[in-house]
Amino acid sequence: MYAYIIRRLLMVIPVLFGVSIVIFFTLRVIPGDVAQTILGTSATEGSLAALRSKFQLDLPVYEQYFLWISGVVVGDFGVSMRTGAEILPEILSRFAITFELTLLAAFISWIIAIPLGIIAGVKRNTKTDFSVRIISLLGVSVPNFALATILILVLSLAFNYSPPVGYVGFFEDPLRNLQILFLPAFVLGTGMAGAVMRMTRSSILEILRQDFIRTIRAKGVKERVVIFNHAFKNAMIPILTIIGMQIGVLLGGTVIIEQIFSLPGLGQMVLTGINQRDFTVVQGAILFIAFVFVMINLLVDLLYSYLDPRITYK
Amino acid sequence: MESLLELKDVSIDFKSKRKEFNIIKNINLKIGHQMKYGIVGESGSGKSLTSLAIMNLLADNLFVKDGEIVLRTAEEKVLNHLSKKEMRQVRGDDISMIFQEPMTALDPLYTIEYQITEVLKFHRKMSKTEMREKAREMLISVGISRPDKILDDYPHQLSGGMRQRVMIAMALITEPKLLIADEPTTALDVTIQAQILDLMRDLTEEHGTSILMITHDLGVILETCDRVAVMYAGQVVEESTVKEVFDHPKHPYTQGLLKSIKTLGDRSQKLYSIPGNVPTPDEYQELGCRFATRCPFAFDKCFSEEPPEFKVGEDHSSKCWLHDEEVIPNEQSTSRVRS
Repeated sequence: MYAYIIRRLLMVIPVLFGVSIVIFFTLRVIPGDVAQTILGTSATEGSLAALRSKFQLDLPVYEQYFLWISGVVVGDFGVSMRTGAEILPEILSRFAITFELTLLAAFISWIIAIPLGIIAGVKRNTKTDFSVRIISLLGVSVPNFALATILILVLSLAFNYSPPVGYVGFFEDPLRNLQILFLPAFVLGTGMAGAVMRMTRSSILEILRQDFIRTIRAKGVKERVVIFNHAFKNAMIPILTIIGMQIGVLLGGTVIIEQIFSLPGLGQMVLTGINQRDFTVVQGAILFIAFVFVMINLLVDLLYSYLDPRITYK
Repeated sequence: MESLLELKDVSIDFKSKRKEFNIIKNINLKIGHQMKYGIVGESGSGKSLTSLAIMNLLADNLFVKDGEIVLRTAEEKVLNHLSKKEMRQVRGDDISMIFQEPMTALDPLYTIEYQITEVLKFHRKMSKTEMREKAREMLISVGISRPDKILDDYPHQLSGGMRQRVMIAMALITEPKLLIADEPTTALDVTIQAQILDLMRDLTEEHGTSILMITHDLGVILETCDRVAVMYAGQVVEESTVKEVFDHPKHPYTQGLLKSIKTLGDRSQKLYSIPGNVPTPDEYQELGCRFATRCPFAFDKCFSEEPPEFKVGEDHSSKCWLHDEEVIPNEQSTSRVRS
């Protein structure tokens, strides 16, 4: 097991190298450069060149890459070309926000999706099932930004409520923090819930058709136990897969939602970085996102083996 | 003494939004105490459905339409009229069941100990250690030599034969009055089959448990059962002691089944097969005998009127017009099939 984890962690290295190469060279292909955006259109050739040389943009691209990556390997992500601030602390503090948002969204999606999915699966082809399926279809198909806008409008027009503006951390003011995060988390959560609900329903349905469910019923076991201890536990693996993927994506930052609710998360950082051609920020942030994604995948794989004794890693 | 389990005119229907049709029609069975009773028939004859109906485990779109399933233990219960809760008390305690596929009949996520003791959790008041000890004893009695190891194993770590032994241990741990075995050996290797059958016979005799053996294999019936009902297309067509049915089969279907068994050493003869297939329930004819379309002796009456159960010997019944004394072709046909 530990050997497996170590091997998986080692496999992360080539993946991240690949990502770093792709992101680094893709950014260099985008037209426009940071010196121009910083100094404006009226800048002279001389000042542009000076700025480029400050950021080593005048070196050959492969040399730039090696300079950057050799820093990253020892944990030095460099400074923002735009603000001169250290990048890693910035990523981490923004990641904390994205992380909290993701957890909240995931939690909201589970408390909606899993019970409804189970009910729909158990009572298949009844009115309850159809209503649940319609709700989940809505969840999947209504775009986040639309739901977010509608929610903001409805809440402010009909209930005269608008969430507080200006982000504060959870440890500074938990109540205010949750107030700020609840709406975006709810929007993201309902989006996730649709898919989780459908997956829960279909895997519960599939498990309930299995022979062993009949065996358990033949033992005189209560239906509640049949559903939760046996059917749901067996259905967890596909549900876990989809949840893992969703969390991985959310942790990469949710650009639009963060923009709408003006949350200073990772997504916003990347977006601003791209607009300003702030290469170092974008490279660093995306590499970090890739790292988180790979870690979530590893975690999901380890959870599989915890849930299912047939899955063992050596 | 009154029988342990009695099916009185039991009919099972299939019902969907659009249509409803009959599958099992007027089944009568009497399974005595400590009796080994067999139901034999081809796939689609309704033998498994009958056993699931006894357990009240039919799928949602199937239901017992008419008749009574009566269980006589300390008290008399009509199983198809019991509430869900009352039925749960019968399952696993009065009646246990083992299934065909030992590979898929156990929950892959729980240990053998959990699955064996789960039935005790719902029917007995025992501590965890008592339950484990009981499960351990049971595993030893089904011939498992390393019970402690097996208790901690998961189903995927066991072979098919081992799993079926575990299933038997699980079914008999509450010492039920009746064990329903639905094709318990079909999925197993031939060498293991005989072991499992012997084991079931020995253990049920020891505990005084009756067996209802559901199988398509006449050999299994011959080896394990006292009485047998031959099912065809949702009906019992012949019923008697195993010896009587094997020595003097009366119904043309039973005769066909027996003829289609391959006998060792006789390679010259082509293996007999009954022409046609078992009809699906929507193909059952409303009138007449359900076997008529495949029967070599069928005559007009067979297509127009359903045959009753004729008494064709002491303790032997057969559902065929050939036994009607008013019917002329009887003699002729019977002689033809014997030749």
